[in-house]
Amino acid sequence: MKLRLSIQLPQLIVLAFLIVMMGLAFHLHISLTFLISDALIRLVMNGILVLSLVPMLNAGIGINYGLPVAITAGLLGLCLAVNFRITGLLGFSAALLFAVPLAAIFGYGYARILNWVKGREEITAIFIGFSFVPLMNFFWAVAPFSNPAMLWPIGGKGLRPTIGLRDYFSKELNTIWDFHLFGLTVPVGLLLFFALCCLAVWIFFKTRTGIAMIALGENEAYAKLAGLNISHLRILAVILSTVLGAIGICVYAQSYGFIELYDAPQMMAFPAASAILLGGSAGKRTTLLHVVLGTFLFQTTYLISGPIANEILVPEVAEIFRMMITNGIILYALMHEGKMKRGGYAAY
Amino acid sequence: MSRTIRPMILAALLTLFWISGGFAETPDYKIGMVTPTLSASEDEFRGAVLVANKYPGMIKHLVLPDNYSEEQETAITQILSLGDDPQIKAIVICAGYSGILPAIEKIKKKRPEMIVITAPIWDDPDMMVKYIDLSLDTDWVQRGITIPTKAKDMGAKTFIHYSFPTHMAKEVLAKRRDKMKETCAKIGVTFVEISTPDPTTGGGRSPMLQFLQEDIPRQISKYGKDTAIFGTNCPMQDVIIAKALELKFIMPEQCCPTPTQGFPAAMGLEITEKDAGNFAKINEQIKAKAAATGTTGRLSTWPVAVGYFFPEFAARLAMLKLDGKLPSFELAAIEPVAREVAGVDVRFSPMKPGLSNYFLIIMDSIIY
Repeated sequence: MKLRLSIQLPQLIVLAFLIVMMGLAFHLHISLTFLISDALIRLVMNGILVLSLVPMLNAGIGINYGLPVAITAGLLGLCLAVNFRITGLLGFSAALLFAVPLAAIFGYGYARILNWVKGREEITAIFIGFSFVPLMNFFWAVAPFSNPAMLWPIGGKGLRPTIGLRDYFSKELNTIWDFHLFGLTVPVGLLLFFALCCLAVWIFFKTRTGIAMIALGENEAYAKLAGLNISHLRILAVILSTVLGAIGICVYAQSYGFIELYDAPQMMAFPAASAILLGGSAGKRTTLLHVVLGTFLFQTTYLISGPIANEILVPEVAEIFRMMITNGIILYALMHEGKMKRGGYAAY
Repeated sequence: MSRTIRPMILAALLTLFWISGGFAETPDYKIGMVTPTLSASEDEFRGAVLVANKYPGMIKHLVLPDNYSEEQETAITQILSLGDDPQIKAIVICAGYSGILPAIEKIKKKRPEMIVITAPIWDDPDMMVKYIDLSLDTDWVQRGITIPTKAKDMGAKTFIHYSFPTHMAKEVLAKRRDKMKETCAKIGVTFVEISTPDPTTGGGRSPMLQFLQEDIPRQISKYGKDTAIFGTNCPMQDVIIAKALELKFIMPEQCCPTPTQGFPAAMGLEITEKDAGNFAKINEQIKAKAAATGTTGRLSTWPVAVGYFFPEFAARLAMLKLDGKLPSFELAAIEPVAREVAGVDVRFSPMKPGLSNYFLIIMDSIIY
């Protein structure tokens, strides 16, 4: 196994920024233990959503800007678990159990559309996401859910925009085996769950199908000559991405403590895309290291810049940096895609 | 031949008679109501639906784009379309957005007799009083005095104000913040201003809510439990109230004071279809949950949703005016109508001294 991580310009800039921020935080007496505990939670909250981009990237379909489709499947699973009043870890597992088959079905439909528009998947995916969200808005407003804790407080029908998970399975995963060390909270269960998801993806890319998928991503003409069923592999990659995305939002929601419906999923693909690009994904071959490094750098930058900017009384600067990083990284990746294509660095 | 024609004529006459009868029953005018979507703001939307159900056939309810700030042109076209309908004699806009005034200006130029009531919109007040017959709003700036004062009465020693640049660029919200700062200094409460990620840019509201989740425990560990937290944006309230239940700090009032904002999601209130919209029942439930979580006396709001009250109040005023039962929109004329619609006392004050068509309201508080 070759493990090479070539640090590119964006990682360098963000890493330098992060180090300066850490130093500033220390200087301003902002509690670093709070920051590090939150950084660990943020890594996993967003990490699985970022991980869900990997199968589609590796199959050469591009970045899954249609992440809202996967998120919606996950939200449906979460809503079903709350509707049946399943609580605790069981409730979280039930949400996953409901979400996964739904995600597979959604993923299949989504994959069929992407196969139609081969070559223009990314822009199509953006619009699939944008049109799917309003469609689901209609669904949420009329869906026949019956748990009164989920319904609109004035109208009495349809789902509320935010559903509290306090009485169901809020922070269930965050608190398994968590321990405190020098004021630092280490969410072991949460980190293990993330590791497990990463392991599953790693194992998948070791199987015949996984290797075939990577081959397809690297050179489609060659894969075709080798007799691989391209359309079938592409559908499988999209389904996998969608299922992972659905699991990702379940983890996100239990950690956040609320299910967010309606327009909330609309923009969620962009931070995930920025994170994986920041991690160094070249668009053809994406590794787990890209996922972890990208998510960590991206989310921690957000996390630290807020309190520091407030402390030194320039809150707008944090906002400008946030926007620059989110959009700038995507722009950088698009500009250098061609150049970076050759640098295949597999960590599988 | 005549045998077939005769029943046809009879049927036609009967239909005509039925149609004319139908028209005679309802007034010959309609009222256009404009609100945000259900998911953007339930109160206003349901308020308009309530009015439409109460006066069937008289209300044309339009819903503004979900993503208002990016589709302002669509919103303006929608509102202008109301002016093209000759049956519509009054327009009620309950939206809490800015940038709607140009549409009203155009309608008023074309049809000066059209009655326009806004409850509220947030455009330049001096321009609003020129074109709008009656502007209503919550007394945002006055709340800059009432909220910190209430917080102090509830035991607050520190007052934290969470907002972001786009909100602080709005005149009323910035003024309210300044008033809060002033009031805090006067009554001896430490005022802390914190800026969150902006939900109107790029990433949506998630980064803002995530920041609040992480920052509130940090601030409470710094300033202690006797801290009042106020956020200027609606989605913030879910997180603030949920954290208040956990950390027992004070939540003196939400940005839009109503029992239906923040409390239902944060407390997991189970409101059955029968009790939906029944504010007395909802308040009872909140009280019980506050007691169960040990936050009695730490949470407060207004007992009735202003957003739910405004659409019905404004529509009633428009109807009374069109029916000739209301001579003007003077304070003395509209106050009794407000009491009748809200069921509680509502205090009005002119937006600026001397103005007779722009009023701000304040309702009494309930402390759970």
